[in-house]
Amino acid sequence: MSAGPYNYSYIFKYIIIGDMGVGKSCLLHQFTEKKFMADCPHTIGVEFGTRIIEVSGQKIKLQIWDTAGQERFRAVTRSYYRGAAGALMVYDITRRSTYNHLSSWLTDTRNLTNPSTVIFLIGNKCDLEAQRDVTYEEASKFAEENGLLFVEASAKTGDNVEEAFLETAKKIYQSIQDGRLDLNAAESGVQHKPSQPGRNNLSNDQQANKDNCAC
Amino acid sequence: MLASHQDVFNIVQAKFLAAEVVKSIHLNVSVVDGPSINSDRILALVEYNKSCALFVLISSRSQPISFSDLSIETVIPIDPNFSCETEPGAGQHYVILIIKYKQSRFQYNIEIGKDSCNFAAELIKSKEGSSNTNPNNNTWLEKYFGTMNNSNRNSDPVDQGELVVIRDGMVQGQTAINRESMLKYQLKLKEPEFTQKQEFSIFVGTWNVNGQPPTVSLRSWLSWDENPPDVYAVGLQEIDLSKEAFFFNDTPREAEWQKFVMDGLHPNAKYRLVALARLVGIQLAVMVNNQHYRYVKNVSFDTRGTGLLGMGNKGGVAVRLELHNTSLCFVNCHLAAHVEEFERRNQDYKDIDTRINFRKSPHEIKDHDQIYWLGDLNYRITDLNTSQVKTLLQRSEMNTLLKVDQLNQQKERGRVLVNYIEGDITFPPTYKFDLNSDTYDTSEKARPPAWTDRILWRGRGIHQVSYRSHMDIKMSDHKPVSSLFMSEISVVDPSKYRKVHEDLLKKMDKHENEFLPQVTVDQAEVTFELVKFREPQFKEIIIANTGVVPAEFEFIKKLDESSYCKDWLTIMPFCGSINPGEKCDVKLEVNLETDLETLYDILVLHLKGGKDMFITVNGHCQKSCITQTLSSLVRIQVPIMHLSKEELASALNNQGPIYYSVPRELWLLVDHLYRHGLRTRDLFESCALHEELIRIRDWLDFGSKDQIPGTPQAVAETFLLFLSYTKEPIIPFDLQDSCVAAANNFENCRQLILQKLNDIHRTAFLYICMFLQELLKYSNDNGYDAKTVASLFGDILLRDPIRNSKPQASRGKTNFVYNFLMNDLSSSLIPK
Repeated sequence: MSAGPYNYSYIFKYIIIGDMGVGKSCLLHQFTEKKFMADCPHTIGVEFGTRIIEVSGQKIKLQIWDTAGQERFRAVTRSYYRGAAGALMVYDITRRSTYNHLSSWLTDTRNLTNPSTVIFLIGNKCDLEAQRDVTYEEASKFAEENGLLFVEASAKTGDNVEEAFLETAKKIYQSIQDGRLDLNAAESGVQHKPSQPGRNNLSNDQQANKDNCAC
Repeated sequence: MLASHQDVFNIVQAKFLAAEVVKSIHLNVSVVDGPSINSDRILALVEYNKSCALFVLISSRSQPISFSDLSIETVIPIDPNFSCETEPGAGQHYVILIIKYKQSRFQYNIEIGKDSCNFAAELIKSKEGSSNTNPNNNTWLEKYFGTMNNSNRNSDPVDQGELVVIRDGMVQGQTAINRESMLKYQLKLKEPEFTQKQEFSIFVGTWNVNGQPPTVSLRSWLSWDENPPDVYAVGLQEIDLSKEAFFFNDTPREAEWQKFVMDGLHPNAKYRLVALARLVGIQLAVMVNNQHYRYVKNVSFDTRGTGLLGMGNKGGVAVRLELHNTSLCFVNCHLAAHVEEFERRNQDYKDIDTRINFRKSPHEIKDHDQIYWLGDLNYRITDLNTSQVKTLLQRSEMNTLLKVDQLNQQKERGRVLVNYIEGDITFPPTYKFDLNSDTYDTSEKARPPAWTDRILWRGRGIHQVSYRSHMDIKMSDHKPVSSLFMSEISVVDPSKYRKVHEDLLKKMDKHENEFLPQVTVDQAEVTFELVKFREPQFKEIIIANTGVVPAEFEFIKKLDESSYCKDWLTIMPFCGSINPGEKCDVKLEVNLETDLETLYDILVLHLKGGKDMFITVNGHCQKSCITQTLSSLVRIQVPIMHLSKEELASALNNQGPIYYSVPRELWLLVDHLYRHGLRTRDLFESCALHEELIRIRDWLDFGSKDQIPGTPQAVAETFLLFLSYTKEPIIPFDLQDSCVAAANNFENCRQLILQKLNDIHRTAFLYICMFLQELLKYSNDNGYDAKTVASLFGDILLRDPIRNSKPQASRGKTNFVYNFLMNDLSSSLIPK
C-alpha cells in the first residue's frame, strides 16, 4: 500500500465490536471522515480505517478494525481480537438487547486480547434521548465494575467520538510509558516503527494453504 | 476571546500525558540574544513520577488555541546537573532567567510579576527535590527529545551536549515535515475561509532629527489624531552623528529617543514595543496597542548599511511581523544626500530592498502582504534654485514643484520604489529649516527646500487617511512627517480556523484512507443449488477493484482452521492482484464427498494492507446411500430418498430394527456384478462416464423398477465408490494396524475379524471377500489374479483416514485381504 508522506512513531491497533446495528461503522466513519454516514450498510467483513493522532507530542497511527456485528460472523470476527491494543465495545442506548449482550462481548474481549488491552465502552446514539432504553447510570456502573472506560457518544452528531478514540490512545500510551505494555510482545497491538498495516491477528502462516490448491 | 492563563495552562497540559503533571507555566518568555524579541516561548515545569523537567515550548500563534500550536523547543531535566539563577534584565520590568545544564546554558527574558514569582518558586522547589532523585530517572523524557523542533536542532547548544537522544522513529523526520508543510500550504490556500478583514489604524511617522538629543514632547506628531492608532511605526534618522555611533554602532541616544517616542504615543491607549531596530542613526520602532499584542507573531528585523563601505551612516532598517494573519513590513531608510546624487539614492534603495534578509520565512521585504516604506529618502527638487522654489511656494504652486520632485520623476521612470504608492503631498517641503524656526535655510548654502521625508506603501487593503507634516516641532532642520492608514488585516476566527485545520487533517487522513485498497464483491452470499454426491457445481464471484491502488487479495484462514475454506470447496484463484478498475473472476467449486445436510462456510477475503470481506457460501445437500455408515444402511429397507425425515433420522442414529445382514445397496451392486460382470475383462479398471455413475447413484438412492442402468464396469466403479466413501471403512481405522500386523497369518486375521469386527462390518467384509473369491474363479475371462484383487481392495477396505495420502498400495493391507481371498471362509461366518 501507499504509506503516503506521513510519519508516526507508533501504530496502535483498535477493534470495534458490539451487536449489529449499534453504529460501529458510523463511529469509525465519524472518526476518520468527520461525517455521519446515513444508510450505512451492514458491515460484512472487517472494515479498515486509519488516522494519525497526536498524544504527548508523539504521532500515533491508529489502525482501526471495524468488525461485522452479525451473530453468524461472531466466530470469524473473533480472529481479529488478537493483538488489539484498544477495544471499543459499542452498544445502542435505545436498544436494551445490545446492552444485555455486553457481557458476552466482554468475555470474548478478555479471552482473546491481552490484559493490557484498553477496553472502552461506548453507548452510541445518545442523540436519541427520547428513545433511551439504557440509563447512563447503569451503564456507567457496569463499566466501573468491569474496569472499563465509558462514555455515551453519538456517531450522528460526533459528540464524544473523538474523545473515545483519543482517550483510548492516551491510556495505551500511558501503559507504554509505565512499562505495563511490552512493545516487543507480538500481541501488544502496538508497533513502534512505522510499517505496513500489519495483521498479526490471523494465522501467521497464510501462505500454507490447501494442498490441493491450484495456484 | 482572550484565553486566560488557565486556558493556556490546560492547553499546555494537553501536550503531555495525564501522568505528566504540568506544575507551573510561564507565558511570554523570550530568548535573550535571540533573533527576534518576540515573546513566543512558554516555560513549563512538568513532573512525572517525582522527576521534573523544564520544557521550553514555542507557540506558533501568540495565543495557542490547541496543543498542536505548541512545539517543544528544549527539554531540560531538573536533576543534580541542573542549576538556575537570575540577572536583572532590560528595563526594570524584566529579569533574565539563566539555566545551566552540564555544558549547556540558556537565557530567557521573563517579565517580573506574580506569575514569575510563582514559577520561580516552583522551579526552585523542584530543583531542591531533585537532589534526592536518581538522575537516571529521566527516561520518560526521552520521547520528547525526539520531538524537539528540527529548526532549533543545529543552533541550540543543548544539541551538541549529551542531552539529546534522537530516537529511531525520527529517521523518518523528512516525511513528518512533508505532512507539516503540506498542512501549512493548504491552510494558506484556505485562509479566506477562516479569516475576516478588519481595519486597523496604522500610524507611520518619519523624522530626521539632525543629531539632536530629544528635548520636546513628540505628542503633537505622534498623537495628532483623535483616536489612538492600533499600530505605530516610528522611524528616525540621524539620532546620533557622533563617531562612536558610526564606528561602534552604539549610542545612548537609542534609549533616550525611544523613551520620548513611547511618551509621545497616544495617551488614550497603552502600547507595547514589538521591535526596535537601529543602524547607527537610523532607528525604527514598532509598537502595537496592548490589546493586539497577543496577535503579533514571527517578529524579525534586519538592517542594511549602504553608505561609506556599507557601514551605516546611510542605509535602512526593517521590521517585519505578523498581525493576526497578515504580514507587515516597515522599512525606515536614510538614502544618500545631495541634489545630484539621485542615482545613488536609487541604488541605495535597491540595496536595501533586495539585501534585507529576515532569516526566517518570508525572508525578503517584497514577500509581505503589506509594506510601508518611510524615511529621509533625500530626493530633491531639480532645475530650480532656492529663490524660484520659495517663490512658487509663496504662490502655493505646489503642483509645479512636485512635477520636478526627483522621487516623483525617478519613480515614474521606474528607477525606484516601483509599484509603491504615495499619497498626494499637500504639505510644504519638510527640509531644510533653520533650527527652531519655520524658516527655510537662510545659511550661506541656502539649500532649496525639498520633500526629503516621505512615506509610501505597497500591498492590498491599505487606505491612506492622512499624509502631513508637523510644523510645530522645530528642533531639527527637518519637520516630522506622518501618515495614518486604515489597513485591512485578516483576523483569524478561532472556531473557523479550528474547523478548517481539523478538516484539513481529516482530509489528509481521508486521503490516506483513500489509498487503502478497495474492492467490491458482486455477492456476499453464494448459494449453491441442491448439491449431490460427487456432482461438482461451480459459481463465480467477481472481485472488482474500485480503489485507486492495485489490490492484492487472498482468501485467508480463520482462527483455528487449517485451511482457508472447507474441504468440499475449491477456490480458484485463491489469491491474486487486481489493478484499479479491473476485475477478477473467482471460481468456487463444490464437490460433495461426505455426508452433509447443508454446506456452510464463511470465506475471509483479505486485501493486503486493507479490509477483509466475508463471503458466505451455503447450499443444501442431497442424501445418498454412499457416504452413510453400514449400520445405518442395514436399517433401511427402501431407497434412501423414499424415507421420511423421521425414518431417516432414526436409521442414521442406528435406531430401529435391522432389516438386512448387508446393506441393500451393497447387495444390489454385488448381485448385479455377480450376474453380469464376473466374466467382464478389466471389470474394475475401466473408467465409466460420469453421467453413468450419477445414474447408478440415483438408481440406488431413488429406486426404480428398471434394471441398474449402465455397463458392468460402471456398476463395478460404483461398487468401489460405495466402499471408498462409506462413513467408516469396512475395516475401521482403529483396527487397521492390527490387521496389517496379523497379515502373515490367516488364522490371526480370521480371529481379528471374528473377535474385533462388529457383526455388520464382519458380514459385509466376508460377503465382499466371498464375492471376490467368486470373481477369481473366472480369472481366465476377467484377467484378475488374487494378488491384483487383494491390492485393489486392500486399499479400499482398509482405506486411510486421509484420502489419497499414500498412492502406493500398502503391502500389509494387500496381504491381509489376500488371506481372505485364498482361504475357505465358511468357518468364519459363524462367530465362536
